Order: sequence, then structure tokens, then C-alpha cells
Amino acid sequence: MSWETIDRTTVAEEKLGPGLSAAAREKIRTFFPRYPSKRAAMLPALHIAQDEIGYCSLRAMRDIAELLEVPPSAVMDVVTFYTQFWTHPRGKKVITVCRSLSCELMGGKEVLAALKEKLGIDEHQTTPDGKYSLVTEECLASCDHGPCMQINEKTHKCVRVEDLDRILSDPDNDKISMPRSDIFDAPQKT
Amino acid sequence: MPKIIIDGKEVECRAGISVLQAALDAGWNIPHYCYHPGLKVVASCRLCLMEMKMPHPQTREPGWAPKLFPACQTPVRKGMEVRFDSDKVRENQKHVMEYYLLDHPLDCPVCDKAGECHLQDYSEQFGNATSRMVEDKHKNPKKDIGSHTLMYSDRCVLCTRCIRFCDEIAGTGELRKVNRGSRNEIDIFPGEPLENELQGNVVDLCPVGSLISKDFQYKQRVWMLNTARSVSPADSRGSTIWIDYNKQGVHRIRSRYNPQVNEWWISDEARFGWKYINSDKRLNTARIRRGVSWEAVGWEELPGILRDRFASADENATAAVLSPMMSCEEAWLLAKFIRQVAPRATLVRGYVPIEGEDKTFPKGFVIKAEKCPNRGGVEQIIAHFGGNSMDFDEFVKAAGAGRFKAAYVVGGYPKEWITEAHARAISKIEILVAHDLFPSLLDQHVAVQIPTASFAEREGSFVNCDGLLQPFERAISPLEGVKADGQFFHELAGEPGLFRAEKFRVSVAGELEMFAKVHVPPDEPKYAH
Repeated sequence: MSWETIDRTTVAEEKLGPGLSAAAREKIRTFFPRYPSKRAAMLPALHIAQDEIGYCSLRAMRDIAELLEVPPSAVMDVVTFYTQFWTHPRGKKVITVCRSLSCELMGGKEVLAALKEKLGIDEHQTTPDGKYSLVTEECLASCDHGPCMQINEKTHKCVRVEDLDRILSDPDNDKISMPRSDIFDAPQKT
Repeated sequence: MPKIIIDGKEVECRAGISVLQAALDAGWNIPHYCYHPGLKVVASCRLCLMEMKMPHPQTREPGWAPKLFPACQTPVRKGMEVRFDSDKVRENQKHVMEYYLLDHPLDCPVCDKAGECHLQDYSEQFGNATSRMVEDKHKNPKKDIGSHTLMYSDRCVLCTRCIRFCDEIAGTGELRKVNRGSRNEIDIFPGEPLENELQGNVVDLCPVGSLISKDFQYKQRVWMLNTARSVSPADSRGSTIWIDYNKQGVHRIRSRYNPQVNEWWISDEARFGWKYINSDKRLNTARIRRGVSWEAVGWEELPGILRDRFASADENATAAVLSPMMSCEEAWLLAKFIRQVAPRATLVRGYVPIEGEDKTFPKGFVIKAEKCPNRGGVEQIIAHFGGNSMDFDEFVKAAGAGRFKAAYVVGGYPKEWITEAHARAISKIEILVAHDLFPSLLDQHVAVQIPTASFAEREGSFVNCDGLLQPFERAISPLEGVKADGQFFHELAGEPGLFRAEKFRVSVAGELEMFAKVHVPPDEPKYAH
């Protein structure tokens, strides 16, 4: 396909997406004292951006690069390496279905097919109302409770096709009972 | 100097280098992509793996270790024994080459790297003729990543040389690896193009046809090109270059290894700034003013005419402006000529173009603000001849005051250099001989106009900012109607025979020490790249 050329040297304004708010920048700065270099705060910074915007937009990557004093390409390198970071808008809730061995033996394929039908979308797509995105992942580390799926950070275990309606209609289907660790969210006081 | 044993042969090598470098220095052909002596070692290409003798963990008896080791990451140790000439090593090379060619589009017939591509060379020498890949190959469009560079992702072997270059040498870090696994590719951040003043080097560095220079794309097949060893006239750093040329002229300029000056790199100015030599504005006739019109004059008559003209002028009011664009040999011969016809003539150090300030890059590469190659050489020659001398500003002032009646002014700059003030002052000189590359404001005042040859059309030597005298070769014949300056000045100064820069340097080495100390950089090892 080398007869086609993509122009990477310019980018349309609307493709840049939203940037970071002042509060998010300040939050990123509070992570600096934890590490020997600013660059090391890359992952927390990207999480903050994704929490705020919903995905890592190009403008947010550029803002982070400016804060961490690295080239913007270095931020893109990290974002595109991890599948947990999104480079385009995603639904409010992301359903991740396991496609690994144990889950598949226990009926993961059927769960995925039923989800696709119920939501009317394929993998890596978002419902028109922006509520759900659907992706698959290699392993969700709950092989003893297959088939399993995650809605945002909440893992649903032993999911059966007939349970799906109940799970999808529950407004709290992504609430985790245990809050996220302090170490991640709250900056250390030095 | 540690001695190591490679394939049963004892090799003496420099301390602190890697086994791969030692083997390349000693003439071994070891395949490698990611290793480059000027960049950090990443040992990611896995092509240079070797077998090494190590003591057995229990019996302490030395024997070949079961695993292979990357030669680029293993420093040489006194008495170590390694081998590349074994089935295990060859098997590895074969398999790694098969991996590299999994997604390769095999578009060599339209690829500009074909002929100097290390995917071609290594797959022929170390790889397999067939691939067992039956799945579809990944196909990517090419990417426009900068004003001089195109990126073909499907030809890429991900050696990351270009990334390391942008990080370490240029210090700008535009290029990165994005995505992962089989979708891994090299890219820029959208809208942040590869725009540093050394970007052309990534094309030289790329061992395959992934990074292509827009300037050279689809121009020539590389096996149609000859190369000449030259020195860049772009700045006073004296970066050594290869001029790739054929009968149709110069096609591209690449950097030439020179550990004392520019190492492996050259600036984009040196790489892409040579196009002026093909300009159709260039002067191409030697001519004499007759009243209001010009009369073309043959090259063989010129020396006699010039000799007569200068002999008729007052020797105290005679000057020669030696341009820092001239080679040392040419400057010497012109100074000799002017002192023959007018022993008290003034020698003037020509105009030195300065643009901005010196630019230093993180690892010490410098782009000089002084945009002429030979100020040092011209100054040494003027000092050697002694007598009256001045610099260009003083000359302009003195000429404006009517001090000079006859002058030989040499230019040769790629850009316009005569300002109106210069022209007004210099126009007071009655017998004005201008030897230049392009028409200038002086034209209406000159008595004799002589066209000069460009750096690719001459041979000689330049003295760089550090005082190193570096010779350069002629690549192409001069433009029709132009004579190589060296030969012309040779005849003008009344020297017998043909001008040969090397022979000439030997003949004057006794008079001026500078000509005896010629700096010729060593060649890179044959199989290094």
C-alpha cells in the first residue's frame, strides 16, 4: 500500500480533542515529588487525563508532554503500548469480555455474541447513545470463575447469557464495593 | 590492547569496545541492524548473536555456553573466545532473517534503497531463499513525516537507530515506536514533524529502505552512481562527505565517517544545500568588457591578458581578494601570481559570511555560523606571503577611498554577497577582475569576468575551523564554458603542466608546513554500516 501517503506532519484541529483542565494539571504536578524524574509520572498523568476526558486525546498527550518535559511522541509511545488507554472517545461504560481459554471453555464466546446482539455493536465500537463500548481482552485473571467480563473496573464472574439483561439493566453494574487504593489516587504528603 | 579469539583466530582490539566492533574492525562480515558505534546499544535485532566460551558452573572447565550472546552488547575481555562460524549461529541468523522478511512487501524494484539495502544483502548472505509465511502480510501506506523524509513502515525492521539518533544526537526526540506486537511501527506525533537540522542523517542510518529522502526518491538507482570523497563547503566545520554522481551530474550527498570532525553525521545544509551548483543563473563564459558590451574570451588567452593588465597598473595600488571559498592550492597560486606581477600588492582575506550563531547539539555536533570552508587556509597563506595584507572590510573602505587601481576579486559564494555599499566602493577600482559563481552587483563595474567552478567540480583542500587540512576530490566536470579554478590559477601563476592537487601539495609542503599535514580520515570497516 506504499503508493498511498498519509500526511503525519499536519493534524486537523478537530482531531486534537479536548485538553487538560488546570485542576488536572495541578493533580499531575503533585505526583512529581514521588519519582526521581518527571518522566516517571507518565502513567499516573495518563490515568488522570483518561479519568477527566474519557480517553487520551492528542491535545491531552501534548499537554502531558509539556508538563513532563518530554517530546509528545514519547507520550504517544506509552499510550499506544497499553490497551487500557483509549486514543478515541469511548462509551460511559466499557465492557471487556475475556476471550482466553478458561472463559471460552465455559461459554465466553456465547456471552460475547449475546452482548454484541443486545448492544447492536461489534468489538471496539460504542453504542449510539454513548453508554457502552465493547472490547475483548486476553485474560481478566479470574479463570476460576469463567466466563467473566468487566464493566469499567467491576469484574462480573460466572456470567451466563440469561444474566446479561439483569447486568445491563442494573445502573450500578460498574460500581466496585472496594474503593481504589489510596496509593493510586491521593498524592503523598512530603 | 586486549587480544581475543574469534573463530579460532587471534585478534588484537582496542579496549572497551564490543566484540561486534572488534570483529567488524578485523574484517568479519557480521550481520547487524540495531548496532551503530555512534549510538547507544540496545541489542534488539538479534542478528549478531555469537557463541562464547565460558567456564562450566560446576566443573569450571571452559566450554561453549549453550546460549547465544549478542556480540554488540558483550565487551571484549582479555583472552575471551567467541565464534560466529558455527551451525548454531548460522541457524539463528537464518531464522531471524525469516522473521524480518515476514511482512516485507518485496518492492525492491521501486525501492530507492535497493542496491545498498542490508535486508537484501543479509537475506542473500545469511537468510533463506523462501519464506514459510502463508498468512496475509501487514500493509501500511507510507507516511510523510518531515520536509525531507518519508517513512515506509512495511519495510522497517524496527532497529530504532532513527529513534536513538533523534534522542541522542539531535536531542529533539520526534520519532518513537507506537502500537505493539506485530502492529509495532515507527511514527511521529501527528502534527509534530521530524524537523531538526540533522534530520537527513536518519536516512543514512536506516539499514533498510524504510526512511527515504524525498530529495533523492526516484532519481537514480544507486548502482548507477560513482562516489567521490569531498569536504562540505557549507560551513567552516569541514564535514567530510561522499558526493554520489554520474554522467548526469551530482545526485546526492551523504556523510563520510570522520572521527575527528563530524563522526558519522552532517547537517542538512551540507546534505541538501548543494543544489546551487545546477543553477542556470551560474556564470559560464569568461569575458572582457569592451566599452558598453562584453566580449567572450578564450581560456587560453586569459592568463596573458590578466598579466598585461596587472603589469600596467601601479604595484602599490594592486590587490587580490582571496575568498575563503577557494581551496588552499588556488589561494596559494593566486597569491603567487599577484606577487609576481606586483611584488608590493596587497593580499586581502575575502568576505566571511556569518549567519546567526554556532549551534551545538547534545552530543557535541556543531553547525558553524561561519558559512565558508577555508578561512583558516586563506589566512595562513596570506601570513606566509607576508607584505601588505588586510581583511575584506578594510579593503572595501580603502577601495572607497581610491587606494586601489587594480584588483582581482574572487567570490564563489552560493548566496549573494556583494552589497550595494560594497559595489559602490569597489567600483572605484579601474582594473577590476571578478572571479565568481553568480552574477552580482559588481558586474557593471568589472573589466574582466571569469566564471568559477563549484566545489564538486574542483579538487583541492580546505582548512577547517580546527586547523585540519582536509583534501577533497573532483566529482564531475565543470559546467560547459567553465574551467576548474585550480588548473586556471596554475596556468596564471606560470606553473608548468597539469594541476594535480595532491602533487601540488607535495611540491609546496617545504615552503608552508600546513600543506605537509594532510588529514585523511580513516575508512569505516568494510562491513560496518
